[in-house]
Amino acid sequence: MTEPAPTNIPRLAPGCRMTQSKDLGPVLLMPENMLRLTGPGPRIVELCDGARTLAEVIATLQTEFSGADPEMIRREVLAFLASLNDRRALDYL
Amino acid sequence: MNFVPLALIAEVTHRCPLRCVYCSNPTEMRSRSDELSTGEWQRVFDEAATLGVLQLHLTGGEPLARPDTEQLVKSGRAAGLYINLITSGIGLSEARLDALVNAGLDHVQLSFQDSEQAQADEIAGTRAHAAKLELARRIRKHRIAFTMNIVVHRQNLARLPQMIALAEELEVGKLEVANVQYYGWAFENRGKLLPTREQVQETIAIVDAARERLKGRMRIDCVLPDYYARYPKPCMGGWGQGLMLIDPAGVVLPCHAARVIPGLKFDDVRSQPLRWIWEESASFQRFRGDQWMQEPCRSCERKTRDFGGCRCQAFLYTGDADATDPVCSLAPKRELIDAVIASPAAPTESTWVYRINPSNQKSEFRIQN
Repeated sequence: MTEPAPTNIPRLAPGCRMTQSKDLGPVLLMPENMLRLTGPGPRIVELCDGARTLAEVIATLQTEFSGADPEMIRREVLAFLASLNDRRALDYL
Repeated sequence: MNFVPLALIAEVTHRCPLRCVYCSNPTEMRSRSDELSTGEWQRVFDEAATLGVLQLHLTGGEPLARPDTEQLVKSGRAAGLYINLITSGIGLSEARLDALVNAGLDHVQLSFQDSEQAQADEIAGTRAHAAKLELARRIRKHRIAFTMNIVVHRQNLARLPQMIALAEELEVGKLEVANVQYYGWAFENRGKLLPTREQVQETIAIVDAARERLKGRMRIDCVLPDYYARYPKPCMGGWGQGLMLIDPAGVVLPCHAARVIPGLKFDDVRSQPLRWIWEESASFQRFRGDQWMQEPCRSCERKTRDFGGCRCQAFLYTGDADATDPVCSLAPKRELIDAVIASPAAPTESTWVYRINPSNQKSEFRIQN
């Protein structure tokens, strides 16, 4: 898709949800596929709840990870969400 | 080494309204009276989840041929599993679809045989195509994942662009262009099903172009026939390494076809705990690691990637389940595959061997008595 706008609302695509695996830790389950989530991954996915805008997701993470460079957080989050969108695990309202 | 099964394929019945000529079910099927009960499946799902399984694929036969499919979905979700229903869709009413979704269904994978009704119904051995189209439109109304699966082969690959167009029209999230895998009934019909090398090359080009065009809208997975591959597929991700299949009678197998291999005793969930079968049983241990391998596999650097290929295919062609998968270009018996590729059946030469239902098998048996 084209670059999402800050006002777009990210959410997990139909048939995608997070679970906790005792062997792998947090895992994003999707059709015939799964993605192991590491670092801030689970928190990012959790924030993509279909209520917060993209700008709010990024701002929340910038507050929660205040030790990291805010611009770096923004870039990383956008790249992560784009990879989820490519896998059809995430879409925007 | 410690292996964790991440997915369980549950063949909950071998009964099916379709008679597809490439069905992956074994040619020797389980009858209805042997099927695990609702409660037995529920216990199996709990045991599987405890073992580390995350995804449950409900398949058959036709899983909807059982009256308790909704309950199976509910039990799987209660165990914490992700639920995929692999179905022909035949007989799935609006009310039953609603009930399945409410029970916690995550993903429906609906099979199609072709883009054209007449050809689709010939492959299925029954009239099914029109009902599938109607059902696909109903599935789209629910917020669940929806995959369209089309099994492709020599007889229908010419219509691959139309099949992709159909998937677009039905707005599915994922399309699986799955070449026939030559086991079970498909092995019987391989002379009429195996595509030509040109068809395989054309498939790759068509799928690549469609992927580019539909990026972000529809994902396309494509399975090519391994007969044309240079190296074998890492069948099931390795024998007993990440997947297990439980047949209708509760027998636990490392793959769909494993029962063709003689001399292996496969254990069942009625007699043994699932954990013991996975971790300790002789059948699951049999092809783990590389001690069983012959040359050229054992000293091959690819052995950790493809595990010597498919054990069932090795047996079907060489009579030796320890042999290198004959599709491998390094296999001593590669000539057996080349011979099949070189002499396809003419379109009119032979007739289809249609899949039969377990109940039919039984009645034939009675007639002979």
